[in-house]
Amino acid sequence: MSEHSVNIIMVEDDEGHARLIEKNIRRAGIANAIRHFVDGTSALDHLFHDPAGPAQNGPALILLDLNLPDMSGIDILAKIKADAKLKRTPVVVLTTTDDKVEIQRCYDLGANVYITKPVNYESFAKAIQQLGLFLSVIQVPEVGDGA
Amino acid sequence: MTITNRAFTRIVLAAMALGVLLLVVAGIAAVFAAQNNRLRAAWVVHTFEVERQLDHLTIAAEQLETARRGFLLWHRPNALTNAHARMRDIPHTIDVIQYLTQDNALQQVRMPALRADAQALINSAQTTIDREQSANPALRAMADFSTDASYFSMQSVRARIKAMYAEEERLFRRRTGAQDNASFQLYAVLGVVGLLIIIIMGAAFWVILRYTADLNRAQDALKDLNTGLEGAVAVRTAELSRANEEIQRFAYIVSHDLRSPLVNVMGFTAELETTIEPLATLIDRVDAEAPALMTSEARDAKTDLPEAIGFIRTSTAKMDRLINSILRLSREGRRTLLPAKIDLGEMTGAIRDSFAHRIAETGTAIDVGGPFPPLVSDRLALEQILSNLVENAVKYLKPGVPGRVAVTARRDGGRVVIDVVDNGRGIAPGDHERIFELFRRSGVQDQPGEGLGLAHVRALAYRLGGVITCISSLGEGATFRLSLPQTLEVEAREGAVR
Repeated sequence: MSEHSVNIIMVEDDEGHARLIEKNIRRAGIANAIRHFVDGTSALDHLFHDPAGPAQNGPALILLDLNLPDMSGIDILAKIKADAKLKRTPVVVLTTTDDKVEIQRCYDLGANVYITKPVNYESFAKAIQQLGLFLSVIQVPEVGDGA
Repeated sequence: MTITNRAFTRIVLAAMALGVLLLVVAGIAAVFAAQNNRLRAAWVVHTFEVERQLDHLTIAAEQLETARRGFLLWHRPNALTNAHARMRDIPHTIDVIQYLTQDNALQQVRMPALRADAQALINSAQTTIDREQSANPALRAMADFSTDASYFSMQSVRARIKAMYAEEERLFRRRTGAQDNASFQLYAVLGVVGLLIIIIMGAAFWVILRYTADLNRAQDALKDLNTGLEGAVAVRTAELSRANEEIQRFAYIVSHDLRSPLVNVMGFTAELETTIEPLATLIDRVDAEAPALMTSEARDAKTDLPEAIGFIRTSTAKMDRLINSILRLSREGRRTLLPAKIDLGEMTGAIRDSFAHRIAETGTAIDVGGPFPPLVSDRLALEQILSNLVENAVKYLKPGVPGRVAVTARRDGGRVVIDVVDNGRGIAPGDHERIFELFRRSGVQDQPGEGLGLAHVRALAYRLGGVITCISSLGEGATFRLSLPQTLEVEAREGAVR
């Protein structure tokens, strides 16, 4: 993750949350480029068709919110994990839902990490910073490796 | 037409009474008529007897005449014996007739003449027989009956007997007529009474039929109503469950969706807060190094900013707590209920022990008043309800009065009624409904709390198929009455809401 070529793709409909997530990730010392999408359609377009997107260009890590205005994050997760090129791309589900069934579904579909956004800001900031620290040590595979 | 119970009883009783009365009347009439009939029959027989005696007398008179002639013509001894027998017989028969006709003045008047004529007949017969038997030829020659008065006597006797016979015939006709009349009257009375009985019994029967039909109809209607009611209850319960689920879902979504912006507010407030310190330092530096650049507004900002942020923080913290409460409530509502046998005494004891510290502090006593009826319900939910109620009782004391809390339970049909009674500060009647609403509290706000406890209690009670009510007035303590089904039935689709 220390390699700058890994892009962080954040799918988050709430601009404020996106900003706070970005700030706290940066506080954890992560300098990777972060691309932010507020809806599922543009996110999918970027993931699969954008020349600068992970399907065509370089490894990526996806931060995914489940509550999106145009679709459920679960649909995006399913599409990523069903795609030959993108299936190894780590997906961190970052959402407010803490429903047991929802969590199980995400892991069943191949989510790599599931994080519930804490309700109060202090915990939220701490969690995102810890996520940042976590991201800084994990290895991200090349897209399409061995596919 | 519907017949009321009272009217029915009255009508049937009246009909029965009237029927019995008529039967008695019929009985009396029959007895009376039979008596009357027998009397009249006796009189008819009496008439026959008189007629028979009159016949007998006629025959005796004729036989006497015949015997006399037989003796005179042929001197037959048996004719003489016969004549003598008739001579004895005739007065005797007349005696009998006189005795029999004592009741009839007219016949009695005729009797002496008849007797006289009969005697004359006998006398003339005796005279001729005597002359015929005498040795004196002159006298024998006088025995010629053609010259004596017996012919006229005989005529007279016949006429008198005929007259009496006619009189008896008349009586006979009158008496048989009267008897027919009496019979007719009896039959008429019996007929009328019978008809009346038939009418009354018919009417009573009709009323009974009518009433029975009404009863049956009412019973059917009641049955329909019952099944309808059961159906209505089932539908209503389903509706309530649906509404409840809807509310739970709504609460869940709302609390979730409210959380997101709140995280932003809190987050950016925290971000803002971090800027206060460098800003304050800057203001101080400018104030010290270049006072000319300083304005009073900028100086005020140094104190206003932390104050504003402080208010934002307390407000968001409160909002956060409220949202979390709603979330907890909705989560509790979605928890799958697990009915289990519950020992209320044990549960209440455990709850009392959990408040041991607080009750020791305030000198409150909690009585667990057994015996407790058996109960099958969700342990966790019931524990939360009772714990909340006991906590409230311990919390809202009347100043200066040591608290006393009692928990009792009793069976009421298929339900268990649990009372949590305290002697605390009480609740004004106007607030009895309000206190169960979310975020609403009652009385002096001197105790910490969000106004959630009783809302939670009521939501839980509803989920357990129960009802909770408050009985209290201000300053008089309060009783919270929880009524639960003795056995909790869990529907299959519990927990279907997500």
